[in-house]
Amino acid sequence: MEKSLEMAKKVSDKAEIYSLGYTHNSVSFKNAKLHDIGSKLQSGVSLRIIKDNKLGFAYTRNLVNRQELIQNAINSLEGEVEANYEFPLTKELPRIDTFDLSMKKVSSTQLVEESARVCDLLKSRTDAEISVSSTTYTETIRVMNSCGTDISGQSTFYVMYASLVFPGSASGIWRAFLSKNFGEMPDNIVNEMTELYTLSSKVIEPKGGKMKIMFMPNSMMALKWRISSGTSSKSVYEKVSPVANKVGEKIFDDRITIHDDPLNDKYPGARAFDDEGVACKPLTIIENGVLKSFYYDLDYASKLKAEPTGHGHRTTAWGGEPIAIKPNPALTHMFIEPGKKSFSELVKLIDRGMILEGGLGAHSGNIPNGDFSIGVSPGLYVENGEIVGRVKDAMVAGNIYEMLKQVVDIGDTLYPSWGTAWLPPILCDNVSVATKN
Amino acid sequence: MFEKLRRIVSRVDADYADARYEIKKETIISFNGKELAKVASNSTDGYVVRVLKDGGMASVVFTKESDVEKALRMAEENARLIAKTIDKPVRLAESGTVKDTFIPKLKEDPRKVPMAEKLDLVRKCNDIPLKHKKIAMTRISYEEVTREKHFVTSEGTELREDLVTTRLYGEIIGKDGNLTQNVRVRAGGGNGFSTVRDQEKNFEERTAIAVDLLKAKPVQGGTYDCILNQGLAGVFVHEAFGHFSEADIIETLPAMRKKMKIGSKLGSDVLNIIDNPTIADQVGFYKHDDEGVAARPTQLMKNGSLTGRLHSRRTASEFGESLSGHCVAEDYRFVPIIRMGTILIEPGEPSFEELLTMLGDGLYILDAKGGQTAGENFTFGAQYGYLVKNGKLGEMVRDVNISGNLYKTLRDISVVGNDLLLSKVGGCGKGQMNIRSCHGAPHTLIKNLVIGGA
Repeated sequence: MEKSLEMAKKVSDKAEIYSLGYTHNSVSFKNAKLHDIGSKLQSGVSLRIIKDNKLGFAYTRNLVNRQELIQNAINSLEGEVEANYEFPLTKELPRIDTFDLSMKKVSSTQLVEESARVCDLLKSRTDAEISVSSTTYTETIRVMNSCGTDISGQSTFYVMYASLVFPGSASGIWRAFLSKNFGEMPDNIVNEMTELYTLSSKVIEPKGGKMKIMFMPNSMMALKWRISSGTSSKSVYEKVSPVANKVGEKIFDDRITIHDDPLNDKYPGARAFDDEGVACKPLTIIENGVLKSFYYDLDYASKLKAEPTGHGHRTTAWGGEPIAIKPNPALTHMFIEPGKKSFSELVKLIDRGMILEGGLGAHSGNIPNGDFSIGVSPGLYVENGEIVGRVKDAMVAGNIYEMLKQVVDIGDTLYPSWGTAWLPPILCDNVSVATKN
Repeated sequence: MFEKLRRIVSRVDADYADARYEIKKETIISFNGKELAKVASNSTDGYVVRVLKDGGMASVVFTKESDVEKALRMAEENARLIAKTIDKPVRLAESGTVKDTFIPKLKEDPRKVPMAEKLDLVRKCNDIPLKHKKIAMTRISYEEVTREKHFVTSEGTELREDLVTTRLYGEIIGKDGNLTQNVRVRAGGGNGFSTVRDQEKNFEERTAIAVDLLKAKPVQGGTYDCILNQGLAGVFVHEAFGHFSEADIIETLPAMRKKMKIGSKLGSDVLNIIDNPTIADQVGFYKHDDEGVAARPTQLMKNGSLTGRLHSRRTASEFGESLSGHCVAEDYRFVPIIRMGTILIEPGEPSFEELLTMLGDGLYILDAKGGQTAGENFTFGAQYGYLVKNGKLGEMVRDVNISGNLYKTLRDISVVGNDLLLSKVGGCGKGQMNIRSCHGAPHTLIKNLVIGGA
């Protein structure tokens, strides 16, 4: 790695090497039976060079041919992609706890046993088609650059996904359990899943119209993407953010507070530095409904003459292969401040409405504008504060900048959302729902 | 390379093993508006090994050759653990052994086109929308992906196949006040650089749509009879039906599997659906899948009745049905899973004009933006649409999102047109990205679709 950096420095003004290694072991149970075990041992290197303020970008898997990697970066300079930023010199890093050594000893047998235990529990309480997967993940990230930065971090994750599928569909109630180390899926998650499943077994076909909608973390992805898009420095720079000139203005209900806190190591996925080697720190995006800040990587900070906030990540909305992705602004440890109401208290506040357990098509529609239009998968229909059944064919549509002004209340529990956000249930009013009736 | 893979396979203590080594070469040019955001040409590689031992099947993917022993032992151990735990052993359908090399003949090899020329071509296309003052932003990319695959099984199959995919695609974003509207633009294919040349007219047409959308009204939510254009009907057949023809999806969903029994009458009489990866010169083309099984046309539905299914060797054995050659991986980072190749609704008799007359009142909706399915329910967006009154096209509408139930919708397909068109650019994300996923359809009339408006 050092050698590659030395070679890169010789042909450029500034250079940076990002390397990533990860192993993962994943057990999957389908229809409550062991179906598959797969393992991954992956590593790769990504190189950025800057010469005359132009960017060269290259990556490879096996550093068998350093010269080829450097040459690919030099060739890429020909594109003349502007790069008017410095790589940071980062020496001191916040201390965070992201690594649990015991993860290395977790065997496939343990994953199989834990998955079987959860399957049996779910099976004993429901008639659902059950699938469970359980995965251990260990990663090492290292960032070196020509300014003298050489930092690395190791993380471990354990994740279990469990789902109860309504027979005849592929839709159902699912939950994730994430942790820095291997552990049993807590009872409260299992209980919540089986209760919701049981309460919503009856299919009903309600009338459409405006109603209250409770976004659950699995469907909240639709909102998270739109919030991330609107508050990204990239959208601001490209003039597609509808809130580009609204810093200091109230854009959402008072109770909405959103921050990104990479240092919060109580939850897995915490980071001391971003994928460009900038030290991470907490950032408030929205406070009591008021837009406080956008988030920046090196490139967009320089384009907008702002300070980088440590949000340069090699990811896309779809994930993707980090070494092949150029850093861009991303929120990876986002929190929406929880409220005070329990789930059942929130349900009691619904005269007529739906709990949106899952949404289909969160990625379609006009994301920059904040518009969404998602199929329910499923929606639990509520009348007079009671769940009365589930809805299959319906679409929930709206715009986050209008809807998040009409918040009824926020739940008191944070749920993991795809490992990059921790979100409470949010109940909104006057959301439009289209159905066949 | 075959020698190296043979050695790997022979070192595995198993009843069956296969090893795939792949070099993936990618060239990307991408613009965000006027700005060039990325220009890169890179090569990566890695191995995928699958092991079947005593009826337990496990896999490992790795990149470093020094990891090979560790990787093989992990896969063996996991296979043994599965064998010990499951009641019904995994079997692979017999596929015979093949030795073959297939290097596609391209209409202009993209790897031989100089970077400067590619850059110039992309810039020219990108400039077309940017000239318009209502266009706030573009995201236009050129991508060229080559998979050089080497595949060996313990049964003696040895395959070398290249897949070269070229595409020029992205989004054109119009803005008027606070309203933004995006339209997609797509060109490309599996048979060479010629598929991305001469796209100026395409970019002009898409720009005009983006601009017109800024003046269009949002569609009123509700239930409509709709004509779907080819692109949208193709996404429908892929999303709503195609995924449930993939045996690995329904294998472990007992209720769905029962409904999807061969012979079941699920669709209207006019509906015939086939998946055919062997159609030459299409983005969905391949000769052998990533289990070394020859791709073959598979009739999935005939006159509304289910006639076939897409299989891997594992599911063909599990279902007791014929192999179809549809087990495909994204690249060296993934084990293959069942994928559609080129799925299409076979054309009927009526012309588009005749369809409009048959529709009377309703919507004409065009081109997909995103789609997703969960069991019997699906959702996808149309980029734009037109109100239709008395068989005449009326004003343009925006924000068209469709949601429906698979079984109802298959029965509600009332007329299939005569103008089949296949997609040029793929992108199906079933756990892995399949950039060669191809779909097609003629204009298709569907009754009673739920449209979610704003």
